[in-house]
Amino acid sequence: MKNSSGGRLSAPWIIFLIVFPIVLSIIALGSGRIWITPVDTIKAIISKITGQQLVDKMVMSTIVNIRIPRILLALLAGMGLSCAGCAFQSLFANPLATPDTLGVASGASFGAAFGILIGFKMLGIQITSFIFGAAAVLMTWAAGSGRGKGLSSVVLSGIMIGSLFSALVSLIKFVADAESQLPAITYWLMGSLSNASYESLIYGAPPILLGICVLFLLRWRMNLLPLSEDEARSSGVNIKRLRAVTVICATLMTASCVSMCGQVGWVGLLVPHMCRMKFSSNHMSLVPASISFGASFMLIVDTIARSVSAADIPISILTAIIGAPFFIYLMRKSGGWQL
Amino acid sequence: MILEVKGGRFSYDNKKDVFSDVNFSVSSGELLAILGPNGAGKTTLLRCMTGMLKWKDGKSLIDGSDIRRMGEKKLWGIMSYVPQARGAATSYSALETVLIGRSSNLSLFSSPGKHDIEKAESVLEELSIAHLRDKPLSKMSGGELQMVLIARALVSDPQILILDEPESNLDFKNQLIVLNTISRLASDGICCIFNTHYPEHALQRADRSLILSGGKTIFGSTSQVLTEENIERTFGVKAIIGEIETPHSVFKNVVPLKLSDDNALIEKSDDEDALASITIIADDFEKANHINALLHEYGDIIIGRMGMPYRKRNVFIINTTFDGKKSRIEELSHRLSLIPSVSVKTVYQKDTEQHK
Repeated sequence: MKNSSGGRLSAPWIIFLIVFPIVLSIIALGSGRIWITPVDTIKAIISKITGQQLVDKMVMSTIVNIRIPRILLALLAGMGLSCAGCAFQSLFANPLATPDTLGVASGASFGAAFGILIGFKMLGIQITSFIFGAAAVLMTWAAGSGRGKGLSSVVLSGIMIGSLFSALVSLIKFVADAESQLPAITYWLMGSLSNASYESLIYGAPPILLGICVLFLLRWRMNLLPLSEDEARSSGVNIKRLRAVTVICATLMTASCVSMCGQVGWVGLLVPHMCRMKFSSNHMSLVPASISFGASFMLIVDTIARSVSAADIPISILTAIIGAPFFIYLMRKSGGWQL
Repeated sequence: MILEVKGGRFSYDNKKDVFSDVNFSVSSGELLAILGPNGAGKTTLLRCMTGMLKWKDGKSLIDGSDIRRMGEKKLWGIMSYVPQARGAATSYSALETVLIGRSSNLSLFSSPGKHDIEKAESVLEELSIAHLRDKPLSKMSGGELQMVLIARALVSDPQILILDEPESNLDFKNQLIVLNTISRLASDGICCIFNTHYPEHALQRADRSLILSGGKTIFGSTSQVLTEENIERTFGVKAIIGEIETPHSVFKNVVPLKLSDDNALIEKSDDEDALASITIIADDFEKANHINALLHEYGDIIIGRMGMPYRKRNVFIINTTFDGKKSRIEELSHRLSLIPSVSVKTVYQKDTEQHK
């Protein structure tokens, strides 16, 4: 893609990136066990806002009470995970660094499971999830980066830290009450958006939106992240502060996603990569593209998950089934990856 | 603008010093070459000098004020750093890379605007690499990458430019392109410092040189520092410094002969008085001021001087005669030969040559 303006997106792309998730949302609102046409969907939303009765009561309640929160959650989780993935890749100058491979997702899962075990409410679970997610990323960083270490050492130490936290999650499952807590933890860990409600969104959405806003505003500065230490410092920018802000935002978003819908893999790896192949590595266009496509990808996957069978399929099963082959195809076609 | 290092000492493990008691200074318009064998700590010295590593003792000063008290933003507004081009890790285009060099001019949440893009394009143009504008770094050759990195450093209008082995790993032609660029920047008034493996690059380009070897440093004007003795002592190679004459100028080069014996005696040549005459042709009137300033520094050994403009060809001709220490005459002759588009030749009286 030719960048005639320092990596800025062209106007048609900006419109597409905004409109595409909205159109998808309207279609997704109508899909499911009960099919509602897009026209009725829009009518239902209008009548909710204006208070008029334009559509059937059952349609109204399906859309407003069940589907809207779930679709908002899918959009948020998709944006958050892919934006976090994009930030981690640049931060570690490593195309394989994502919330999953760095152990952040496992750390956040452990934190959330720990919160459930203790009996915390939504806010408490968010906080424990963030604390352990941050602990995991710091441990990975301390163990795997530094002088004379290659690209793979960060990922290797991420895998180790990740398995450490997975073991701790198993430990929690082992001590959890088999009647009530164990099924809750197990089902939630597989990743599902079926628990979406306005109440959980009130606690879960602000951290994700905050992280996205900060990274979006910092998107030009994020171009400094993959540079070597000396290069980054000699730009005169306070690189330590930039890194710290990026880590905090990315971890916050990951932890918040994990505490709302469990460990949803692949999104953080797949979406930023697709965007890098299309929009190059300039964060000016990469960050908005990752946010938009992340939201769209998650929405499509979740809509499939709840539409194909009466029982909700855990979403991480689907992201992996769709993601892995698609990713391999992209990788072979584009001849590898590069930041 | 003067960059100075006073009493610099550095050590990674606090047991063995990488180097100690490093002292040197460079001012605007001068080119300093830092030489030394592999592993002597050349890159470490650059990193200490710029504050990326902390001196254990001593300090770096810009115009007399300690760079540690300047603040990163102000410091990197004056100074620019060109890292070694060891293959790119990113796939940014040349334009994007150069724009990154504008970062310190931008506020936290803003992105480069039209003015920044124009500035970046003009720098690419100036270095004759405008055609690389949209080429990703990952697809560039070593020479192209090095020039883009230099462009990134120049886009913030630095007064001090520091380059880490800018010409190593490049082929013949690209080495020349990079070195010519550095020489031109220095003659435009930027204070340039570069690391190199090649003594002849220092001889052909640098006003001053610093040799780093075994933790010790030798610093001074290039013609005095880069002698056959010092090369043998530093690199362990017996070499001769030869001169190749072209119709325009005399070029120095270094021919390595053999590895030196460990117990080889190093003879020190005497510094005798000599009578010499230097002829200079400058094809640019502006250069005449530069030359006059240089000659002024050696006023005490000048015994005769004639200068005249030759309007027909738009050149300036200067003839100067000297009686003084041979080393100083050599030094001046060398410094003059570093100025681009100036032809210089020195003639020594025959007798003094024979004494040697």
